[in-house]
Amino acid sequence: MNSITEEITEFLTAALRRPVAPDDDYFELGLADSLFALELVTFVEERFSIAVEVEDLDLDSFRTAERITRFVSRKTAPAGLAESRDQSA
Amino acid sequence: MTDHVARSDRVSIAVRSAASYLPERVVPVAGLAARDETERRTREGLGIDTVRADDRIGAVDLCERAARQALDRAGVDARDLGALIMVESRAPETFLSSESTRLQHLLGAEAATTFTVGGLGCVSVTPALLTARGLLAADPDMDNILVVHGSKPAAATRYRHPVTVNGDSGQALLLSRRGPVRILDIAQQTNGRYWDLFHVKYRDRPTAQWREECADVTAYSFRLAVETRNRMSALLDGLLWRNGLRREDVRGYVSHNLSAGSLAFTEEALDIGILPVCRENLRVYGHLGPNDVFLNLYTALERKELATGDRVVLISVSPVAAWSLLLVEIGPQEGVA
Repeated sequence: MNSITEEITEFLTAALRRPVAPDDDYFELGLADSLFALELVTFVEERFSIAVEVEDLDLDSFRTAERITRFVSRKTAPAGLAESRDQSA
Repeated sequence: MTDHVARSDRVSIAVRSAASYLPERVVPVAGLAARDETERRTREGLGIDTVRADDRIGAVDLCERAARQALDRAGVDARDLGALIMVESRAPETFLSSESTRLQHLLGAEAATTFTVGGLGCVSVTPALLTARGLLAADPDMDNILVVHGSKPAAATRYRHPVTVNGDSGQALLLSRRGPVRILDIAQQTNGRYWDLFHVKYRDRPTAQWREECADVTAYSFRLAVETRNRMSALLDGLLWRNGLRREDVRGYVSHNLSAGSLAFTEEALDIGILPVCRENLRVYGHLGPNDVFLNLYTALERKELATGDRVVLISVSPVAAWSLLLVEIGPQEGVA
């Protein structure tokens, strides 16, 4: 588990008050409500110094800790590198 | 974008008097039917203990009762209304007929320019106010515009999973160029992407089977929630900036009443505190659609929790999706007819 995934998993475990594995889909499990979604996105923005815009709100990017990790990596990568990763995804 | 200097030239619009009618019958939410245990548990966590509901009183009747109170308080005869704007009912009792002209007839407001506005669910009071402001701007002889809404859910179950429990209420706002509550600014945005997120299917179904259903709970709980944070933050910043205000210049924020979680969401998303009256009205009345924000504002006024000169922001959000902020300023309340 890389450090980003670890931090996100810790946050999720605390916010949802139950152990959350990196590939647990907490939306599918019915654990997420709008207040949780707000806290999650705010945590990601503040911890990793990124802005989550309306066009970023693809649920698939936020379903699991691993997917959030990929989203954060994409958002924090230099522009050219992010584009290259997107094309190879 | 219009700056606040230019805004000083805008048309004045104010609430001259307001009234809310709430049926006497108190219905405990715990006694309402639930589809399953998940719905029941979610409903129990909404922060709503009771609603006011009376199936014998229709939406137009709710409007009429509130309208008569608002007119009495202002000492205005219905015959002197310049316009009667009805915010549409969730489900009219008959098709083809007109609820707004029915109300016109019941009130005797024969001279009033009469029509219905809506389309934005719980935010639909805002297009009514925008329309009233436009009428006042367009016609110097226009005065005494009555905006009315009878809030009554389409579905008999009253529960909208996972959002809220609907109560009944009527509300009337008598608008003029001057009055004890000035509406300084109105901001509204919509995103049609969500037009059908919540719906009630009714064709070929007995009314007992009508239900408020969410087509995609995850879209509601995630995408729309975060979009609401982004939209409302930008709307609030813009509203305050163009009126030359800072956040500390706003005495209080009033939200609509969906759930305790929704109020916490709004507070966290906008980094504000919601006036306590909202949680109290939520607990005893549930959600009253577009009537919530002015009911909350006037409850706070009646309790003397707001004073002359206070500025208040009224916040409404609808999953259709629509977002609205109203900036109001409290004027002297004593001696107002």
